[in-house]
Amino acid sequence: MSTDVAGVTGVVVRLKLSLLRNGLRQSGGRRAAYIASAIVVLLFAALQLLGLIMLRDNAHADTVVVILVAVLALGWAVMPLFFPGGDETLDPTRLVMLPLRPRPLVRALLAASLVGIGPLFTLCLFIGSVIAVAHGGLAYAVGVLAVVLALLVCVALARAVAAANIRLLTSRKGRDLAVLSGLVIAIGAQVVNFGAQRLGSSGLTQLDPAADVLRWVPPASAIGAVRSVSEGAYGIAVLQLALTTAALVALIAVWSRHLTRLMTSPDGSTLQAVAEAAVRERNSTGLARLLPAGRTGTVMERSLRYVWRDPKTKAAWVTSLAIGLIVPLFNALQGTGSIYFACFAAGMLGIQMYNQFGQDTSAFWMVAMTISSPRDAYVELRGRALALLLITLPYATLVTALTTALLGDWPKLPEALGLSFALLGAMLATGAWTSARFPYSIPQEGYKNVAPGQTGLAWISIFGGMIAAALLCAPVIALTIWLHVSEDGDAWTWLLLPAGAAYGAATTWLGLRLAAPRTAVRLPEILTAVSKG
Amino acid sequence: MTSAVSVRGLWKRFGQQVAVAGIDLELPAGKFIGLVGPNGAGKTTTLSMVTGLLRPDGGSVSVVGHDVWRDPVEVKARIGVLPEGLRLFERLSGRELLAYSGRLRGLPGAEVDKRATQLLDVLDLAGAQHKLVVDYSTGMRKKIGLAAALLHNPEVLFLDEPFEGVDPVSAQTIRGVLERYTASGATVVFSSHVMELVESLCDWVAVMAAGRIRAHGTLAEVRGDAASLQQAFLELVGAHGRDAGTDLDWLGGGAR
Repeated sequence: MSTDVAGVTGVVVRLKLSLLRNGLRQSGGRRAAYIASAIVVLLFAALQLLGLIMLRDNAHADTVVVILVAVLALGWAVMPLFFPGGDETLDPTRLVMLPLRPRPLVRALLAASLVGIGPLFTLCLFIGSVIAVAHGGLAYAVGVLAVVLALLVCVALARAVAAANIRLLTSRKGRDLAVLSGLVIAIGAQVVNFGAQRLGSSGLTQLDPAADVLRWVPPASAIGAVRSVSEGAYGIAVLQLALTTAALVALIAVWSRHLTRLMTSPDGSTLQAVAEAAVRERNSTGLARLLPAGRTGTVMERSLRYVWRDPKTKAAWVTSLAIGLIVPLFNALQGTGSIYFACFAAGMLGIQMYNQFGQDTSAFWMVAMTISSPRDAYVELRGRALALLLITLPYATLVTALTTALLGDWPKLPEALGLSFALLGAMLATGAWTSARFPYSIPQEGYKNVAPGQTGLAWISIFGGMIAAALLCAPVIALTIWLHVSEDGDAWTWLLLPAGAAYGAATTWLGLRLAAPRTAVRLPEILTAVSKG
Repeated sequence: MTSAVSVRGLWKRFGQQVAVAGIDLELPAGKFIGLVGPNGAGKTTTLSMVTGLLRPDGGSVSVVGHDVWRDPVEVKARIGVLPEGLRLFERLSGRELLAYSGRLRGLPGAEVDKRATQLLDVLDLAGAQHKLVVDYSTGMRKKIGLAAALLHNPEVLFLDEPFEGVDPVSAQTIRGVLERYTASGATVVFSSHVMELVESLCDWVAVMAAGRIRAHGTLAEVRGDAASLQQAFLELVGAHGRDAGTDLDWLGGGAR
């Protein structure tokens, strides 16, 4: 029996190695990327190993180590959700035709999970952590056990999460979620960055309470045990190790149960269709009834529905909304801000007007079939701009007001709002025009936002458009500056609100007017451009 | 005989490859017309150019007497299209897609909703009308696409491979709707590479191969002396007599 188990484990580990090797053989670019990332990861691992060793004897060493281990474990838990396609051996449904019992299979898959750059990196970090906190021979001995336990907990955690979610990952909703996950990382990075800056100013002492809790949470508890041994608290160390072991056993049990269920029930992708048969009725919302009749309302309704329902559009919107809020607000919070940063919200949201038809994908043909004159094209573009304004106007106003409140600079609110509206108008105008002139495809699968071969087009469209928008705003900016430098101009800065709003509205109107005839005559070209990928 | 569609010297080139090499064609009105040909013959390219979704390199197309490129207002209101390989607005439910499409065409809202209900009913989609199109099967997608193409009661309907990947039940439903539609005097132009289907459905056929029209006319004219349209087609495109012969003589039966 035991030789049999070893056999299965060996086969699965070799399978993992072959998959890795074959993946690299597919293309030179992929091989180069893999090697480069491996070198970077290993360098990083070596550096942090060095850093952790130097941290030894530092007062906060154990706090840092415990938190690092906890964060890394979190990463292991989240990773399979974001990169479901990353590891084919992660998908046990591929092994479903093989006559394997759950127990040897779990052991084999666990062993296979330990192969790769990720586990190696984790191992380096754990070893460094033990060196940083261990004092005395016994502590090192416990450290070896702790590293093994912690690593196994991480791997089992990833496997358990993946197995529990495999039904989600193979369904349409799951793939939609994966598109959104990229932006969770992007926004999370902003928040982490902000947190780190605060931490830099007030020191590591802030983290001590968090570390005191995490010391009892596996797998960080394993490293906690090493410190406990170093301090002579053997009872606590045994408890922490026991806790880690219990977590490992529990995770493996959960994973094994999900695995058995996955292997013995139908594939999730086909199951989904049946389960979703009973869907709730999608009634037209109250908002839809308030929209204007005719093409304008129809276009607005469809655009707004897509903001919510289409993962790519939603991701783009959430990113714009979040960054448009974070940049002015966080800068104001840190005291480095200026009220003019509030224009960021208008600018970020204005980007959504760019490549309007690319956002439709090849479904643009349905629009193209109903545009037979510049007038139709104008109403179509205006509907899309209005849908965008429905969200953007209140949002930009809110962000500007919040930034003003944080800075306490209320007299400057009208001019900041005026500038925001002028910028928004310029973005809508250039967005409409570049949508007609430089459309490009947005692939629906994966993380890419530009189809291969159209990157140049996308750059021209977005950056050319943004520079043009900035230039278009020049009169309002010049007026602002002039009012500030002229003698009693400050008394008249309130004028910038109506002036900016009027200027923005006029620019938008002009932009739509210019874009409409171009759209109407270029329908087949636009369709071809947005149908790639 | 009046023509529903009139094509003159239509050309399209993609880089080095000529996709459509000068087509002249008069499609009679009120008929069920099949455009047949092997994969890569240029059927989709032709239909895209005829419906105004792809700009030709040369030639002209007119639909019910109006030039497709010079007079889009008249043409677009009179035609319905179901393209192949292009998406729909899949994040709308079936009913929402019809409501959107009908209102974009300028039909009054109440009328759109009434027609949508009937179309969903007839096409057997009423149960799935509130499901997002992205979760539809291939057959359901073809049916909702057909519903969107019929919603404004066009004079000429262009369908690119409407039966491709469609289950027999959905195919029968689509067929029933199309037969009823042509019986009222409207014209259907559809492309396919399934000869049996074309033979059983169409009364007028155009055969395409390598970007050119090889034959056209009523079913009987094109079939000529051949036993079936399939035979006539194979002769026309020059694939006849290419027998399996002695190759693969090891395949099947006897010794392994």
